[in-house]
Amino acid sequence: MTLEGGMTLDLHTHSVKSDDGRARVRNYCQWIRTRNIPIDGFVLTEHRQFDAESDYADLSREFDLAILKGSEVETEYGHVLVFGVTEALRRAFDFSDIHLPLARVIEACEAHGAVPVPCHPGRPRVGMHAHLESLGIPEGVRIVEIYNGGSREGEDSIAQAMADAHGWRGIGGSDAHIVSHIGRCATRFSARLADERELVDALLAGEFQALTNREQP
Amino acid sequence: MSERLDIDAVRSRFLNEVFDEQQFELTAEQIADYACACGELAPRYTKPDHPDFQAPPTFPSSFRPTRRLPEDFPKLPGLGMDAGKAVAPRLPIRPGVRLTARTHLHDVYAKTGRSGRMTFMVTRMEIFDPDEVLLASADTRIVIREKPES
Repeated sequence: MTLEGGMTLDLHTHSVKSDDGRARVRNYCQWIRTRNIPIDGFVLTEHRQFDAESDYADLSREFDLAILKGSEVETEYGHVLVFGVTEALRRAFDFSDIHLPLARVIEACEAHGAVPVPCHPGRPRVGMHAHLESLGIPEGVRIVEIYNGGSREGEDSIAQAMADAHGWRGIGGSDAHIVSHIGRCATRFSARLADERELVDALLAGEFQALTNREQP
Repeated sequence: MSERLDIDAVRSRFLNEVFDEQQFELTAEQIADYACACGELAPRYTKPDHPDFQAPPTFPSSFRPTRRLPEDFPKLPGLGMDAGKAVAPRLPIRPGVRLTARTHLHDVYAKTGRSGRMTFMVTRMEIFDPDEVLLASADTRIVIREKPES
């Protein structure tokens, strides 16, 4: 599938708001523009939290980039990106809990109009594939991250094979923690997306395609 | 495997309680030596006779409390390793000023990664001048990587 028009977003990035993030959001913007990184924006998915306080509207205008916000939470199946976080969703479970049941995260996302996406599923311990044999195939997964900018050799192949086997759609995200990693992987959408709500709608509609700028082993 | 740290219990008992306090003064020579060792070239950090002579912003990362963690802190379930430092400078630190450094446990949290569960402890040292004005804070992060079960 090739999607013309629309926009390309890096769906998995971390700023200094994450404990291991070393990139300021302004520096991501500067890097994208000065290095002509082929993305139209990115989603900040800070670890174990939702950054409700930061307002990137001015940066977004200054650099003409979409800057959206999501989260990355931790479950028994590994890490999970959450798009479309609302206040009600934040009350539904403790984002800082590293032992969240995936079923609860999925249920809460469905109840509050958000989209859960297990990320780097081919990664040991914190990827879903590592837990399928012991925990079984989870109900309710529709999309997984098949291209992750931090994947080591073979991990994205595992993710793609798993997605193919189960009929799950795939997204791409860089998992950038430093500025030079942004845009390594991304997701192409068929429409322009103005906010998190439209991102959720596009994900639910399946109108996207995972992209990678990395060489795949 | 060693028993895991009870993070909720540790947070509730130790967080934000000052467990170390020291008073000291910096000399111009100490500041200039540190600046030169860092490769600093700006005269306000390297030349004691500069009218705005002060410690480089990262200098507080070299201050150490007399103890790493609060007294009675539970035994760590593994080897604690340095997981980085962060300094938030607010006002210049100058030589010959009596400084008070107070340290507390600022955060304790866990995360999971490729290598398994890791527990982080963040101690924060706050540096005040004689008028109790906060000049800077320096965070030190310690990580314990728990042995994977498999």
